[in-house]
Amino acid sequence: METLERTDTSGEPDDPIVEAGQPVTRDAQWYLKVVVAVAIAVGMLYWAAVEEKIRSTLITVVITVAASAGLWIAANFLFDQVRNRWATFNAIAFGLLGAVLGVLLHGNKLTLGSGSGFFTWVIGPLVGAVVLGGLGYVMTRTQDPNQRLTIATGTGLAAGIVIAVTIREQFQPGLDVVAIVVYTAILAAVGAGLSILLKHSPVGGAMIGAAIGWILGAWGGADLGDGSLVESLVATVVPAVLLGARFGMTTDPDYTERVNIDTRSRAVIFVGPAILFIFVMLVVPAIRTGYLSLLDRDSEEFVDGENYGSVFTDRNSLDVDNWTDMFTSVPFLIGVVLLGLAVVVGAAMKKRTGRAVEIGNPTVGPLVVGLLLVSFGAFTAMRGTLINNLWWVVVVTFFSTALGLAIAVLADGRRGERVAKSIIFMPMAISLVGASIIWRFVYLARDTSTEQTGVMNALWVGLGRLSTGSGLPTLIVTVLLAICVVLALIFLSNALVKREYGRAVVPAILTVSLGWFFVRFVGIIGDGVGGFKIDDDGTVSGQTIFFVQEVPYANFWLMVIMIWIQTGFSMVILSSAIKAVPTELIEAAKIDGATESQAFWRVILPQIATTIGVIVTTLIVGVMKVFDIVKVTTNGQFGTQVLANNMFDEAFNRVNIGKGAALAMLIFFSVLPVMIFNIRKMQQEG
Amino acid sequence: MSITAPLVNDASPGGQPGDEPSGIIDRVYGFLRGIPTGILWFIVVIWSIPTLGLFVNSFRNRDGQRGSGWWNVSPSELTFDNYDQIFGARSGLLRSLLNSAAIAIPATIIPIAIAAFAAYGFAWIDFKGRKGLFIATVSLLAIPLQVALIPLLQMFVGGAKYTVPLLDKTITIVPDFDLAGTTTAVWLTHTGFAMPFAIFLLHNYISSLPKDLFEAARIDGANHFTIFWRLVLPLSIPVLAAFAIFQFLWTWNDYLIANTMIGANASQQPTTILIANLAGDFGRNEHVLPAAGFVQAFVPLVVFFALQRYFVRGILAGSVKG
Repeated sequence: METLERTDTSGEPDDPIVEAGQPVTRDAQWYLKVVVAVAIAVGMLYWAAVEEKIRSTLITVVITVAASAGLWIAANFLFDQVRNRWATFNAIAFGLLGAVLGVLLHGNKLTLGSGSGFFTWVIGPLVGAVVLGGLGYVMTRTQDPNQRLTIATGTGLAAGIVIAVTIREQFQPGLDVVAIVVYTAILAAVGAGLSILLKHSPVGGAMIGAAIGWILGAWGGADLGDGSLVESLVATVVPAVLLGARFGMTTDPDYTERVNIDTRSRAVIFVGPAILFIFVMLVVPAIRTGYLSLLDRDSEEFVDGENYGSVFTDRNSLDVDNWTDMFTSVPFLIGVVLLGLAVVVGAAMKKRTGRAVEIGNPTVGPLVVGLLLVSFGAFTAMRGTLINNLWWVVVVTFFSTALGLAIAVLADGRRGERVAKSIIFMPMAISLVGASIIWRFVYLARDTSTEQTGVMNALWVGLGRLSTGSGLPTLIVTVLLAICVVLALIFLSNALVKREYGRAVVPAILTVSLGWFFVRFVGIIGDGVGGFKIDDDGTVSGQTIFFVQEVPYANFWLMVIMIWIQTGFSMVILSSAIKAVPTELIEAAKIDGATESQAFWRVILPQIATTIGVIVTTLIVGVMKVFDIVKVTTNGQFGTQVLANNMFDEAFNRVNIGKGAALAMLIFFSVLPVMIFNIRKMQQEG
Repeated sequence: MSITAPLVNDASPGGQPGDEPSGIIDRVYGFLRGIPTGILWFIVVIWSIPTLGLFVNSFRNRDGQRGSGWWNVSPSELTFDNYDQIFGARSGLLRSLLNSAAIAIPATIIPIAIAAFAAYGFAWIDFKGRKGLFIATVSLLAIPLQVALIPLLQMFVGGAKYTVPLLDKTITIVPDFDLAGTTTAVWLTHTGFAMPFAIFLLHNYISSLPKDLFEAARIDGANHFTIFWRLVLPLSIPVLAAFAIFQFLWTWNDYLIANTMIGANASQQPTTILIANLAGDFGRNEHVLPAAGFVQAFVPLVVFFALQRYFVRGILAGSVKG
């Protein structure tokens, strides 16, 4: 995260995309900005004037923002009084408390004299404000403990009696003694415990807890309307006196304490609203989801872990019956060969440098690609939602990071860097739904009797036509291919003769893959490559691929969409990380005789390793919840179901709340390690 | 420019003097030096092909799109018919654009204010438990939204009720505001979900403002409110802009939350749901899909290209968004 902070805190300069651009003068930018801002403002106003929907939205926003800001500023103003005008603050704060109490009682028409009309609306809050505000003010005038206790308890008693007497008859509670005792005891204990935890005397906490418990037990446990005035008095006076006495036991804070109060209340004012939103919108719902996941589909009965169990026993979400198939899958076999190669190279490197695997030595390439292909083979053999999610995470994370790194390196400092990076980055701005639709047309397969209008199938069928044809184009392509194979061979042998094994890797891969392609293309093995089929009578016709319907490879074609989007993300971050590597380091390496590629592998890559880690974790979290692409393209058909889409389906289409919640929790558990990792890192950073 | 200039020379193919190719191998190596640039632009072309194809096809009529690939386009067949059709009264695209705006505008503006307060509080108000609370908040960055969706939908549909144990009385914690299937439910949800990221992003910036500034203001008798209002807000404009752009694109492009909260309520659907539905009806509207998709992407693309610098900054600083 340190790299990120560095780029962010530096303020104006090193935005990678903008940096390599033409030197635009400040004035021109400023001028443009004003024009754009004015245009947007005018457009918005016009839009608001014309469209009812936008008008009402804007009005809502303005009112919400203004009201919240007003409230917020008022709160700030109130606590401005704490340090130097304690009496004023106390009077206002307690007055507000009284007003709120008045609103609650009077506004809900619980007390006599409440009802419709402006005056009856105001009188309750007003009385409350005057009584409690007066108490608050008086309490700042005396420091004598006995006086304070008497005044506060007396006010509590009086207020309790007034409230009890004015409660309407139909709300007088029929007391339930058990409820009162139990709630008072429980909450008093809780209050005392909290006080001890906060290193205060337990008596105060116990008194507040007991008061709240009494109110809950007396009013909540009762049948309203069954009671008498006496019961009403019991229910009200006891907690009122308790609270009053508790307040009377306090001492008036001195200046230091008031500064503390100021700081603490500011913290609440500033941080509180955000925490409230997070609690209501994230934390509480997340906890409730965990609870719902243990209940049945209608959230009525506990079913233990059945919802979770069904995910792991359902063949749709985990099907490993055919796992042996992976040993015959092509990617797996190639992967095994590469891993074998990695072992051989590793042994050689061990002899030479003492380390078999090290960033930048030739073992890494075959090892990583080999592992990727082996896992690819395994994922095609084992099927199901969970496997698909794993497959997504492995493939998308790997390719997005690798491609992003490659492009960042390729573009670094080259002419047109800005344009190139903008284009690669652009998919980030498009919605996942939009991207899915864009790729739908790329993957489109039309009837083979007509022309293919999707790029992929047009290429595929065209390749088939070239490979099986015999005209001039076929001849030209054959010759070109042959030349390429020969060239790759020359490079390979050249590197081998010079014993530069690091340099031999790329030509070796090229030779093998191009050679294999050539053999297939010409038809030495098989009939050719590409989208064609040969009928029994020997006629050749085109054959398309239904990319998003090919089980299990449809998954991969959906992942390509995600890779298309996410590569820009990792490219931008890696690019700025690369630019942040001190030039002196690279220069020093070059003076010591390092080549460009050695400087990259040995100097730049270790420097940006942390950033790569951040990208990988971010991608894992993002890919784990992939939803939009699958929903729009296949909706989970053709073996492409993933957890998030399955969850949406269960929870909102089949209304199986328990199962949906369990699937949501599974997504949560799968990113939990990343969250813990992040927390620990932040704790270390301090 | 001055920093990158020597690198440009270094990397240009065969640009070094005294590096005259002699043998055939060396000559080929010289050619190979240009390959990285070639590969870069090859990738760029591949990356732009899908979007380009959609763009071209949006100007071709149904027969044109079905008859030949977009790369065979001829200037004479270009037409605005598709756009006419999707902006027509029956398609509902115009209404969905309004709905998207009605979600994205509040969901962008409201979190900014709340998160700015919190970011300042975490950065410069020295209260007990500040660090722990901050870490707890920011760790929620990675929380998958799915985990909150079901209870939130239930809350918007019927309010939130809680049955008190022992008393067997049900109290209403959140009343039913009749928000089910409205854009309000969507932007409220977005506001909550945006909080961890917004706080993280703004805190990074606000906490790095020079300490002297605050001490000087304090000596002049300014309190937290004044410092925030007069000092921090004006200085934080760049990061506020970065967050605003990020959040706007995120909410405009969102499909999951809108689909959960609004679903089939056609009058409130944003563009993402509309075009997803268009794509789902098996080819009947396939010919207008490119135009509709392009209109949906138009707003984010304009924002993106106009304000790329801020967007990149947001991405760089907040790359752990969940």
